[in-house]
Amino acid sequence: EGHSIHSLPLGLLYSYFHGKDNFCSFSFMQGSKLEIPLWLAKGLHDSKRRIISVELPKIYREAWRTVFSADANVVDLHKMGPYYYGFGSQLLNFDNPENPEIAQTILQTFISRFRRIMDSSQNAYNEDTSALVARLDELERALFRAGQKGLNDFQCWEKGQASQITASSLVQNYGKRKFTDVDG
Amino acid sequence: ISRQVLWCPSPHCYLGPFNPGLPVEVPVWLAINLKQRQKCRLIPPEWMDVEKLEEIRDQERKEDTFTPMPSPYYMELTKLLLNYASDNIPKADEIRTLVKETWDTRLAKLRLSADSFVRQQEAHAKLDNLTLMEINTTGTFLTQALDHMYKLRTNLQPSESAHSQDF
Repeated sequence: EGHSIHSLPLGLLYSYFHGKDNFCSFSFMQGSKLEIPLWLAKGLHDSKRRIISVELPKIYREAWRTVFSADANVVDLHKMGPYYYGFGSQLLNFDNPENPEIAQTILQTFISRFRRIMDSSQNAYNEDTSALVARLDELERALFRAGQKGLNDFQCWEKGQASQITASSLVQNYGKRKFTDVDG
Repeated sequence: ISRQVLWCPSPHCYLGPFNPGLPVEVPVWLAINLKQRQKCRLIPPEWMDVEKLEEIRDQERKEDTFTPMPSPYYMELTKLLLNYASDNIPKADEIRTLVKETWDTRLAKLRLSADSFVRQQEAHAKLDNLTLMEINTTGTFLTQALDHMYKLRTNLQPSESAHSQDF
């Protein structure tokens, strides 16, 4: 057929390219295994021509999926990710026969971890949240921050700080500009 | 809310007339302002009373749904009146505690509803009798979480176009 088949484990997002004049060409032996960035793999992927096949990073494979379904809350998604949800969703582009299970595990993981993120971001138990946050992936951390902000805004209002007028940062920076034609 | 004003309002004021000794209803902002200037005494709303609030708190704890609150601004009014006119409110400390307990119960209930909503992957939810203050405290978090969950759910569909989600 003349088509090469390479298997590429996806994992690290570092750039593979070095080369003069920013031009790179490289050739592979059929069957070689490489680590390449996700965006490149997506570009090379073609379900009809099968230039590449993709090896799943271990956290998306069956053994780890079992761990997730037992108790997703114990997993350190920051260490295993830190973009577990985003990267996992992108992985579904590669026609892997396990895709339905992967997609389901990612969704169920989110659902089972949701409660703890919500409760601790709202300080429901008045406990130290840093241990929990350390185990959150980036998407969950952004959610946690959103929850904290809601709570902080409420507490700020409760203390009466919301009624203090402070200069907007736009205004503060505006005054530092030099005006050459102020009076027109 | 306001009472007993001896000060004569400006000719353009459309509130009043203020007759000494007679209670008058005025906007909250005016009541607070007059109170700060020691021009009046405030009468708390009828629900700002220990027995009534205990009843509300107990009902909130008992029911799974949200109790209709006597005012959509119960938190705001409690804070304002207790801040500026606690001397006009009998058992102000108890009232503060009771309102906070009711608030905590309602927010816990809201989180429970949200978790149950997420677990069942519902498409729609209807929560009656929430106040704006409660919605604002958790709203950003909830809408972002549900947005993520929606995107993860579309991953389940096997069509190719569903898989190029940007995170």
